[in-house]
Amino acid sequence: MRTIRYLFLLPFFLPALFVLLAGQVEAAPKYKRSVEKYTVPDVTLINQNGERIPLRSLLEGDKPVILDFIYGTCTTICPVLSIGFSHFQKQLGADAGNVRLVSISIDPDNDTPQVMKEYLARYNAREGWDFLSGKREDVIRVMKAFDAYVVNKMNHYPLTILHAPGSRHWIRITELLGSSDLMREYELLLKK
Amino acid sequence: MKMLLITAACLFLFALSALGDEIMLPAGISDAEALRLGEKMYREGILPSGEPMQAIVMGDIPMDGRMFTCDDCHQRSGLGSVEGTVITWPTNGKELYKPRRKTGAWRPPEGDAEKMDDRRHLPRYWQIEDARPAYTDRSLARVLLTGVDPAGRKLNPVMPLYLLGEEDMSILVHYLKNLSVEPAPGVDDSTIRFATVVAGNVAPEDRQAMLTTLQAHIDAHNSQSRHQERRSASGPFFKTEMYQAYRRLQLDVWELHGPEETWPAQLENYYAQEPVFALVGGLASGSWRPVHEFCEQHKIPAIFPLTGFPVVAESDWYTLYFSKGLYQSGEAAARFLHAREGLADDAQVVIVFRENAESAALRQGFAESWRRFSRPEPQYVPLGPDDRPTGQFWLDIVRTHRPAVLILWLGAEDLGGMDTLAGEEAVPTIFLSSEMLRYSFNSVPEGLRESAYLTYPRNLPETWGKRMLPVSRWLQARDIPVTNLEIQAKMYFLGWMLPGAIGYMRSEFFRDYFLEGFDMMVDQDYAIAVYPRLTFGSGQRYASKGCYIVQLTGGPDPRPVPQSDWVIH
Repeated sequence: MRTIRYLFLLPFFLPALFVLLAGQVEAAPKYKRSVEKYTVPDVTLINQNGERIPLRSLLEGDKPVILDFIYGTCTTICPVLSIGFSHFQKQLGADAGNVRLVSISIDPDNDTPQVMKEYLARYNAREGWDFLSGKREDVIRVMKAFDAYVVNKMNHYPLTILHAPGSRHWIRITELLGSSDLMREYELLLKK
Repeated sequence: MKMLLITAACLFLFALSALGDEIMLPAGISDAEALRLGEKMYREGILPSGEPMQAIVMGDIPMDGRMFTCDDCHQRSGLGSVEGTVITWPTNGKELYKPRRKTGAWRPPEGDAEKMDDRRHLPRYWQIEDARPAYTDRSLARVLLTGVDPAGRKLNPVMPLYLLGEEDMSILVHYLKNLSVEPAPGVDDSTIRFATVVAGNVAPEDRQAMLTTLQAHIDAHNSQSRHQERRSASGPFFKTEMYQAYRRLQLDVWELHGPEETWPAQLENYYAQEPVFALVGGLASGSWRPVHEFCEQHKIPAIFPLTGFPVVAESDWYTLYFSKGLYQSGEAAARFLHAREGLADDAQVVIVFRENAESAALRQGFAESWRRFSRPEPQYVPLGPDDRPTGQFWLDIVRTHRPAVLILWLGAEDLGGMDTLAGEEAVPTIFLSSEMLRYSFNSVPEGLRESAYLTYPRNLPETWGKRMLPVSRWLQARDIPVTNLEIQAKMYFLGWMLPGAIGYMRSEFFRDYFLEGFDMMVDQDYAIAVYPRLTFGSGQRYASKGCYIVQLTGGPDPRPVPQSDWVIH
């Protein structure tokens, strides 16, 4: 009864509510985004040039990092993630070297340095984008550390993770991003 | 260029509204030429002009069509794929030009819909309208340009919007309209016909091992443990698609005799007499190349032939091998050595070999990898037919060439006198092939075992027995004599995978789609006894990616001890 008594106020509050919600919808991203804490495992992976790369030195260095999990013969998700990386580097132009892009293979048996090099060439990758593979056990450790582990690689999902140098937090995005979305996330990362 | 494409696409979009439902090919382009050009667009993202296709993906990312082709998602068959959270719908002519039902790609054969009783339908109040009407050329062109389908639904932004002018669009539409329309030969309403090839002088026990194991799997499938044929006629509506897709399997044996040069004609003859849907297994006394090329030419899938000499060609499509065979062992040796600390960039490698198919494959695998690492060309020392290496021969090799690595792609009979090297001041790293030694390691002198490494392309002895046990039991339960357990284990695995790929096709009996069923398989490490694991992926044609490098223990019964992971990068 008490609720009904106050119903006459509704016409006054509704417009305000709409304005508030509209503002929030405008500000909130259209994709799933969360802030996480991850511990980078102490593993050494191999990149497209056959160089052994300690993962911690790469991900916890002095540059912002954008990370994804892909594989060379993926049919849908990885090509779109990689087109996103490729265009992102192109947009940054001369500043592309200021951010480290890291793609980690979820099919390490097949993704040899040769396969990874050809893959990056297909996407016109510039300096600063590394594709990493390695021992299956090590790759699984990395996937688990970033809550990205799937038993069957065909069941994987789009995942992009961003990290600012020195930060304890990692931004986790579990959907495919448009160009403006990725750029906005990167700019947000730099502001922090 | 991009601006031109955008203008052409906009003009074409504007013109679409004035066009009829059918889009004509440009004057002077034949059907066959349009199919060839359309295939290049679909598979490679290249326009008839030779320029890359241009598109927008995810709403605002401009992309070069070569980065992300139509067949990446929709696959070569056009029947689509499911990957994680993204479902890609069929784009083949057969599905596009019919309304899409909610149940998926399947629809009853023509005329069957009227015959079905009520039990075969959803209750009327649950029946849903078609998801979309049939495409026409015009609505297909519109969805490629705008991402809006004939039902007015906006496609997922992962589907690129293509900037195509009228002529290019007509070619792509023509290609899609003709993609996977007629089911492949070798399938009828009741049976899928397979063949297995037995070529040349194959040992009778190997032939028996392969055929009995394959046939046992086929008998199991045909026994219809789920009463598929009965249920396809009377089962409930939600099982109709599954049970109507059921076919019995028939296995033909194609025996090839005489010299290898005559095999292609014999294969053609068998195929003309009774076409098959695909080849499964297969044994050849020499190279598999004639069968491989026959399959490429006719676009016939060949699944897991038993050969140490597969064709290693990254762009070929129709044969799925267990591994690259001896080539892969050569590759593994090169990768292991390259990654080894302390081996100088210009380290001298000497390869001693006899001219035969095994050593040729090993040499090729090693040389191609070694070159990729920008390492200097090895020195080759061939043995003539009458050469019998002695202790002095080995001393001369080491003292003359002073190799850092001595690779012996030789059989056990050629290792006589090797032990004299044990007394040398600087013994090089020695590499051997377990396959060429027939896994009999006593021929490796004990004094050299610290320096000797071997390629070992299968499960290690400590797991071999455990992994083979289920295979032996399975054979025993079917009264199949064990005549070659390795061959039987491989066919056992094939038999377990085959129903998955057949089921994946549902009633869409297209050969490319069948192969895609293998491409999409989960990586396997339980049904395969011979290899630690087999992995799959779109276009991956060698399922085993690994080869251990081992050293031997001392004593009269040496055991291999792994010095590398299964996969060496």
